[in-house]
Amino acid sequence: MNRRTFLKTAGVGSVSVAAGCTSQPEKTIYALVQAPDDTVTGKALWYASTCRECPAGCGVLARSREGRVVKVEGNPLHPINQGRLCMRGQAALQAVYHPERLDTPQLKENGEWRALSWAAAEGLLQEKTRAAAGAGAGRVRVLTEVIGESLAALFGEALDQWQSPPPLVFEPFAYEALKTANRMAFGVDGLVSYLLDQADLLVCLGADFLETWLSPVEYARQFKAMHALQTNRKGFFAHIAPCQSLTAANADLWLACRPASEGAVALGLIRKALESGRGQSLPAPLRVSLTAASAPYTPEKVAQLADIPADAFDRLAARLLAAKAPLVLGTATAGSGAADVAANLAANLLNRVLDPDLTRIDFAHRHRVETAAPRAEVLDFFKRLSPDTTGVLLLNNVNPVFALPGAGIAEGLGQPGLFVVSTSNFMDETTLLADLVLPVRMPLESWDEYGGKRALISGLQPAMGSLTAAPGLGDVILRAAFGADPPFPDYQGYLQARLTAQGIVDGKRQWVEFLQRGGRFDLPAAPTLAPLPAEVPVAFDPVPAAAASLVLVAAPSIRFFDGRGANRPWLCEIPDPLTKVAWQTPLLAHPDTLANRAIRHADVVQVRSAHGTLEAPVYETVGVRPDVLVMAIGQGHSAYGRYAQGEGVSPLGLLPPEADAVSGGPVFTAGDVLLTPTGRQMPLAHTDGSRIQHGRKIALTTPLQAAAHDDAHPPKAGLTMEDFPLTLPLPEGYDPMRDAYPPHDHADYRWSMVVDLDRCIGCGACAAACYAENNIGVVGAQHILEGREMAWLRIERYLDPQDERQVIFLPMMCQHCDNAPCEAVCPVYAPHHSKEGLNNQIYNRCIGTRFCSQNCPYKVRRFNWFTWQWPRPLNLQLNPDVTARSKGVMEKCSFCIQRIKAAHGTAKNENRSIRDGEIQPACLQTCPTAALSFGNLMDSESRVRRMVMDRRAYQVMGYLNTKPAVIYLHKVVQEI
Amino acid sequence: MSELTYATIDQTILQTLEKPRPGYWLIVAVLAGGILLGAACWLYQIFVGIGVGGQNNPVAWGTYLINFVFWVGIAHSGTLISAILHLFRAGWRNPIARAAETMTVFAVLTAGLFPFVHLGRVWAVYFMLPYPNQRTLWPNFQSPLMFDVVAISTYLTVSSLFWYTGMLPDLATVRDRATGLRKKIFTLISLGWTGKHEQWRHYTRGYLFFAALATPLVISVHSVVSWDFALGVVPGWHTTIFAPYFVAGAIHSGLAMVLTLMIPLRRIFNYEKIITVAVLENVAKTIILTGMIVGFAYATEFFIAWYSFNSIEIEVFRYRMLGDYRVGFWIMVVCNTLIPLLFFFKKIRTSIGWLFGLSLLVNVGMWFERFVIIITSVARDFIPHAWGLYAPTAIEFGIMLGSFCLFFFLFLLFVKHLPSVSMTEIKETLHEGAPHAG
Repeated sequence: MNRRTFLKTAGVGSVSVAAGCTSQPEKTIYALVQAPDDTVTGKALWYASTCRECPAGCGVLARSREGRVVKVEGNPLHPINQGRLCMRGQAALQAVYHPERLDTPQLKENGEWRALSWAAAEGLLQEKTRAAAGAGAGRVRVLTEVIGESLAALFGEALDQWQSPPPLVFEPFAYEALKTANRMAFGVDGLVSYLLDQADLLVCLGADFLETWLSPVEYARQFKAMHALQTNRKGFFAHIAPCQSLTAANADLWLACRPASEGAVALGLIRKALESGRGQSLPAPLRVSLTAASAPYTPEKVAQLADIPADAFDRLAARLLAAKAPLVLGTATAGSGAADVAANLAANLLNRVLDPDLTRIDFAHRHRVETAAPRAEVLDFFKRLSPDTTGVLLLNNVNPVFALPGAGIAEGLGQPGLFVVSTSNFMDETTLLADLVLPVRMPLESWDEYGGKRALISGLQPAMGSLTAAPGLGDVILRAAFGADPPFPDYQGYLQARLTAQGIVDGKRQWVEFLQRGGRFDLPAAPTLAPLPAEVPVAFDPVPAAAASLVLVAAPSIRFFDGRGANRPWLCEIPDPLTKVAWQTPLLAHPDTLANRAIRHADVVQVRSAHGTLEAPVYETVGVRPDVLVMAIGQGHSAYGRYAQGEGVSPLGLLPPEADAVSGGPVFTAGDVLLTPTGRQMPLAHTDGSRIQHGRKIALTTPLQAAAHDDAHPPKAGLTMEDFPLTLPLPEGYDPMRDAYPPHDHADYRWSMVVDLDRCIGCGACAAACYAENNIGVVGAQHILEGREMAWLRIERYLDPQDERQVIFLPMMCQHCDNAPCEAVCPVYAPHHSKEGLNNQIYNRCIGTRFCSQNCPYKVRRFNWFTWQWPRPLNLQLNPDVTARSKGVMEKCSFCIQRIKAAHGTAKNENRSIRDGEIQPACLQTCPTAALSFGNLMDSESRVRRMVMDRRAYQVMGYLNTKPAVIYLHKVVQEI
Repeated sequence: MSELTYATIDQTILQTLEKPRPGYWLIVAVLAGGILLGAACWLYQIFVGIGVGGQNNPVAWGTYLINFVFWVGIAHSGTLISAILHLFRAGWRNPIARAAETMTVFAVLTAGLFPFVHLGRVWAVYFMLPYPNQRTLWPNFQSPLMFDVVAISTYLTVSSLFWYTGMLPDLATVRDRATGLRKKIFTLISLGWTGKHEQWRHYTRGYLFFAALATPLVISVHSVVSWDFALGVVPGWHTTIFAPYFVAGAIHSGLAMVLTLMIPLRRIFNYEKIITVAVLENVAKTIILTGMIVGFAYATEFFIAWYSFNSIEIEVFRYRMLGDYRVGFWIMVVCNTLIPLLFFFKKIRTSIGWLFGLSLLVNVGMWFERFVIIITSVARDFIPHAWGLYAPTAIEFGIMLGSFCLFFFLFLLFVKHLPSVSMTEIKETLHEGAPHAG
């Protein structure tokens, strides 16, 4: 064999070996051969749209790469969320790319599903509606989620064509009690909004405004505007509720009142206020009736009724009366029973007493969810539903079968002769009972408009090509109602014409601006308020006497809302903020409750109410009262795709199916609940190893007095855990007394993050954003049990061992240490200290010794135990700027290095250096409360540089001398 | 040893190389099956991912590194016996030196597999070699794992050469009595040994130098292995006593393994006259010493944790004693420090049954020592939120079983194919003027 032959043979051999082996599942990079005009391969396009994951209506910007949306972020121009999003908003993408999203219409024939063409499905819809309309008036009915005004108007016109009543708007959480109380106390039949940021004291009768209540992102931001430390002062927040929601965990004072006794506490406060001479400007009849109604609620009586310490109540009342700008909020999202009407009414009246002009209540910008029909109406609708009166029932993105178990919905939908059409993209419990499934485009693929509040118009536009060939809902309705000759060619035209007619957009230029900005937010607010009613029927039922039995509270989940989020893998994977349990729905119970029944943590118990039975594992916590059990709403689906079906349990089946007589709303509590052990156990997939800090310097607090006064001398620096100083990851942080090695040289930048624990509410939006941005694998419950969750950023939740009701949250991610323990131990330099101080992880270099993880004191490194899968088409969401890692390599937070590199590119093109605040890592970008800051420590003017000079600044376990570049600020705590 | 003569020595030892019985091959086949099982587990792991084992976050190291340290530890007493005791002219080591050295070589071989098994991407393991490349990437010689690469490969090289060198005269003896293919093979591997005076002179000098070279390795290799842990910041690992502590532990486990191997060996091969009870008794006495050193090290760790006043260090050691893995801890304490004390009783250390049983217990104890060190420290390190538990999986047990099978497979092949006792060195122990024939 000569040299040439050898080379040829070797070449062919090695190529065939290389071509024959496929080890990676996803190697194809899709590139557009002919790009649309506005697309440059590799450059992202941003489209303004509106989040439709809950009725709040936050503005989003969808980041589109090569025709597919890879990330949604808040729209900074949008007045509701001002650029921030919650974790449900972040996970909206996973609905679009869900592997079980229907890609064709389905027709049920003899109980079997048959795929249908889009044209055939629409034809069938047209035929059925025409037939129904022909058979008489009112025979086409629509049940829809909360929708924008324009779509509602179109529905109205279409239903007019069919001689049918307007659509019925169904939301599982419709705030009936709050609406009733608003009508009584303010004369407003709707849901006013609140200006939390203008208050200095907040009393909350259970409203979980950091999780689901009305508009959580907006209220979280406003809450921290009043509650975070600002030059020596900080607002005060008291929460009065039987169980500790995330909102209550963020309160300065949580009074665990007996269920349904919130109103009594508010009346007690009214009594105190009136006694102290407040409320003089109230109309006389109201003042008189209030005085009479609140008279029995002496502090002792309140303490006894609500089972709260009398002195705590007294101090709260004193603090409330001393406040300059107090604001009282009503009951929780899932609070619409009779007692909640009383409590909300008392809250409203207390607001009137304390602030007769109601300056912190915004009557102009009412929440759009007020358009939802009361539960009683919905139940009535289903009760009357019959083929005799209805021919076609169109269900738009609602799941009443899941939301209203025991109300006979399934029987109603299953009646022969009734043609049920669902526009859902998923085979959920309700859609399974439909006759025709006609999936329509998802919000990110559609033209529409939705205003989360009055006087706000927020646009939706297709941010991506439709993933399926589905038509838009508006187009379907136009074609179905107006046949071959619709007044507008498509819904976009209808929308544009309608907005033009209303003077919201004027001409093409304004239309483009409307789309670019994401809506019109400068519309004049409607004239606000009729005079407040002078007489309010203040008849309060006596609070029910203490029942010996257990009360089950079904609470909306920050992760799944009413259950619609349960099929998004990120939301399942990111643990609940308080229990840190992922994928499962535990039953929260007090240790005393369990001890009395010989039940232990993680035992499976049977829960029985008058209306149903379920089995669930128990989670022991002092975050509930001993007479209360709490379970989150959202999981326990019997359909709805692989991530939802069979995961967790739903407490809804234990609740009374009928609506409350007073409010017309559902009752989310069940009394006289029986707990019986089953003798089985179920390991809980929780991500926390310990609930307490064991005295280590991890998540620290400082009293308000100490934070507010600047006279203390800086503590003397030493080498122990107690007195180790802040050592900046800069040359100045090095001291020959402590350091054997010289400092790193950094070129121009030393990136650093500051986490203000006083602002962190523990909501987990940052973690969701991190999953979305960085292609982090979802591992599922079993692997979480095995300790393999992949989150680069986790919220550590610690309880105070002295009082476990005191909760502190600490976002933990790679600390990008200047003196990083991981870097030294890797045999191949896979963790690498960059010129800008980043601790880079070089995936291709990593051989998987896992020594770095062992040696990381913060345990923030994540190993790819397997090659994690993104079932198609979830893989289309993967961020093309970030490598998807395969099995055997270590990964971790990179400070979103792809964003840093992009900023470098922009700065270089513009021949300048990177500006402070120009780089926003995904976590920081979405944080509703702006708890995170990022920037260059070498710039003496930068925001982070100024923040690390704060006396509250510290490093987690700084005494290890790792010199972390993530610097935390103490949480500021205050006593009442 | 008075009844031994040069001829009976040769005869006894060469007898062991006779054609083996079918039972032998059956055992060899079973062991080979075990190796295949381990290999299959490893292959499965390579294709599916390290997650088929039980490692997780925070416990990212599991049985693979436990077994690595365990086998490296076993490897230690071979060199101790053959090199250090040779230098100290401890004649009692001669009958067991060959087998102990063989144990060393095979144990290092077995141990050397585990870092490969442990790696997440074993196909990229060559990144650890300092080979010239266009990317100008170089291994990180600061990393204790690089120390390991150097230390283990050095140890394997030196111990194999030492083993082979010592065997040369014996190989020639076998050659002289062999016929056929065996004669050819032994002619080749005995490297032309004729027993000339000159050869003996070179041989004894060379052997002595090798012993002198190998001696520091006994100390250094396990010191280096201990730095895999001691150079980390993890509480429970980051201590200065780790090097001597590990070396003592290694010798402790190695001596126990010597007993475990020698007792069946002398019985099966009728070595009772060569490997006398006195020899075993000496090994047992040494185990008392190493056991006490190890016990002292345990006590020191606890004392320093308490004395440090460092709550994190204290918690790790409290957890070891009373936490989730307390059973492992108490097995370790009892087997490694208390059980060897039984050897103070002459009756026990001269009873073959007791010796064998206790040596097994010490082996178990030493395995658990590594388990306790590696698992409990990271399971409870700095961040309480990240604490977690680890349990090995079937795949890990399969690989572990494979490693034991590999070791015994190699050892079994050795005892029937190479002289398992050094004829040369036994002859050295015979007093001057012993009859050459008889």
